[in-house]
Amino acid sequence: MLAGIEIVCFAASYAVSLVLEISRLFFRSGIRGAIMVGFAGAGLAAHSLFLASRAYEAVDADQTPLSSAFDWYLLAAWVLAATYLYLAFYHPRTAIGLFVLPLVLGLVLIAALWADLQPFPVDRASQWWGAVHGLLLLLGTVAVMIGFAAGMMYLVHAFRLKRKRPPLRGLELPSLEWLDRVNSRAIVISVLMLCAGHLAGVILNLVNQGRAVDELPWSDPVVVSSAATVVWLLLAACFSLLYKPARQGRKVAYLTVASFVFLVFSLASGLVLPTEHRASAAPEAGASP
Amino acid sequence: MKLQMVGCSHHRSGVDLRQRLAFTPAQASEALDAIRSQFPEAEAVLLSTCNRVEVYTAAEDALHAPSHQAVAEFLARFHGLKVYEFFDDLFERTGEDAVRHLFTVAASLDSMVVGEPQILSQVKQAYQLAADRNSAGPLTHAVFQAALKVARRVASETSINQKRVSIPSVAVADFARRIFERFDDKRVLVIGAGEMAEETLRYLQDEGATSVTVVNRSFDRASELAARWRGSAEPWERLLDRLTEADLVVSATGATQPIVTREAFRRIERERYQRPLFVLDLAIPRDFEAAVGDCLGVYLYSLDDLADACERNRRERDQELPAALAIVEQEAAQFMTDLYHRATGPIIKRLKQGWQQPKDEELRRLYNKLPELDDRSRAEIRQSFDRLVNKLLHPPLASLRDEARHGFPHALVEALKRLFQLKD
Repeated sequence: MLAGIEIVCFAASYAVSLVLEISRLFFRSGIRGAIMVGFAGAGLAAHSLFLASRAYEAVDADQTPLSSAFDWYLLAAWVLAATYLYLAFYHPRTAIGLFVLPLVLGLVLIAALWADLQPFPVDRASQWWGAVHGLLLLLGTVAVMIGFAAGMMYLVHAFRLKRKRPPLRGLELPSLEWLDRVNSRAIVISVLMLCAGHLAGVILNLVNQGRAVDELPWSDPVVVSSAATVVWLLLAACFSLLYKPARQGRKVAYLTVASFVFLVFSLASGLVLPTEHRASAAPEAGASP
Repeated sequence: MKLQMVGCSHHRSGVDLRQRLAFTPAQASEALDAIRSQFPEAEAVLLSTCNRVEVYTAAEDALHAPSHQAVAEFLARFHGLKVYEFFDDLFERTGEDAVRHLFTVAASLDSMVVGEPQILSQVKQAYQLAADRNSAGPLTHAVFQAALKVARRVASETSINQKRVSIPSVAVADFARRIFERFDDKRVLVIGAGEMAEETLRYLQDEGATSVTVVNRSFDRASELAARWRGSAEPWERLLDRLTEADLVVSATGATQPIVTREAFRRIERERYQRPLFVLDLAIPRDFEAAVGDCLGVYLYSLDDLADACERNRRERDQELPAALAIVEQEAAQFMTDLYHRATGPIIKRLKQGWQQPKDEELRRLYNKLPELDDRSRAEIRQSFDRLVNKLLHPPLASLRDEARHGFPHALVEALKRLFQLKD
């Protein structure tokens, strides 16, 4: 219950920031920027406290801190919100929040409504390869999301520039060059992180084979869908590497948007399809109370 | 208390006169020192730009402030002119009008190109110089600091200073900056040596562009323009080679046919790898075939496109002007209210002191008569006396505050002085 209230706290702060971002489209205000950053900052602070308190509770209960899917989504939302705050501070006139905050709220919503609250059992969650697997996938996911936001901004911006349209009031975006750079870096970082993360997952599964702990079938929907995402990202990276025009401009933006679609399918499969890649699906032995 | 501005501006004076009355920074320092020595009780700030020369003066006592004539004579003496040569061009603003004028100037609402950003830094520099030379005082500090605040408010609450209205400035600020993050690593190709191309180059160099290549049918003219902008000139035959490398093109030739056709561009498109190319086609008729703009990564803007954007900006700026002027009006009224209220400070202080003395005497008398009172009772009685004095003082002070909203309350101040026998 307490967790629910706290989630509402920071989700509401991010939502207010988003509403303020949307209000840019309708009227001007001298203090809106400061209020927006203030709300996002307050949300991030509440978000941090919430995660810290969850970590402490887990330690008290002899569980591995922040090891549930619920925590994973909230951590990803935290990294994304922190990135937004940084960008909002350094690019105060641009409507970056309009593209990033819905993703933050989406992650929080998934965590609150669908994600598994139960932490992975200690003998599974505390494995080094497991932690590396979770962390790298988290960073890769955030990179894909940032790439998606930058890609969408690029496409909107390029569309307007091609048609010689002036900047829309309240929808000022960073330059194409900046967005292009973010897109390219997002692709590289997401490929590296997700590939390394999946490799860590494979090693983890190999290590667990033959052990009493648990072992994930290679045909598990999560394994298959995430492998498809990794294959797509590798293909996208190879395409960029071999075909020079795909290293910049609209093609990179399309690649990042497509990567996001793959990621959504991959995450959705973990939530919707019957999978053993869940704490609640793990054997009860060693499971925390 | 007198606040005054005497000066001339682009509204009624020609550039010749403005140049003759203008001050270099060194001259401005010298002039401020001279005003200070001539009018030791007065404060002064001197704002000198290419569009205006304005002398702001202020003094607590109006008798110590320089008059319009005195400022004119000072300007004539300093610049070695005769007063009659420019007296009719000078205009004067006093009191609230002077405050409103300064706010309007600082917010760039009185500029030749409304919304241009340089004026704010010029006002800041003028004020800073006056502060450094000790010629600014309480009144000028207050009014100039308020002016800077008003300018910031106008800039944040309206988009008046974001709307450019000249073709080159719109091209660079509204379009080029939306494509490129920085210009110091971009290759700028200038085709032709027209005036408009040169004006655009000025804006690009202000943004940091350093690599400039000029291609013109006349190599000599290309070399001449390139030398002026620290760039390089290339023969006309190498146009497509340079276009392959360019990030930004400014084209303004007098050609009667397009010089870059879709077919010609197709030949170099492969080698450009769809790298973004921003083309400003400022020529009439166009130098680039419109179909070049359909190529991937090419953002082609013709003079008509930019003229449309200028017109749109002009309309939007005109729509914003009433809101900006309303801010100036509101801030000027607030500033004057605060100023008048502050000016009534001494009389309020004397009024309070005048009541304090009888209160203390009565308290002393009461304490002597009632020696059995303990500390708690004494404190209680003192608080009651304080409350009584505050309640009695409240109506005259509230009336004073209300009157100060409409100007300095001379009549009320005089009445209070006589009623309560307050001495200066």
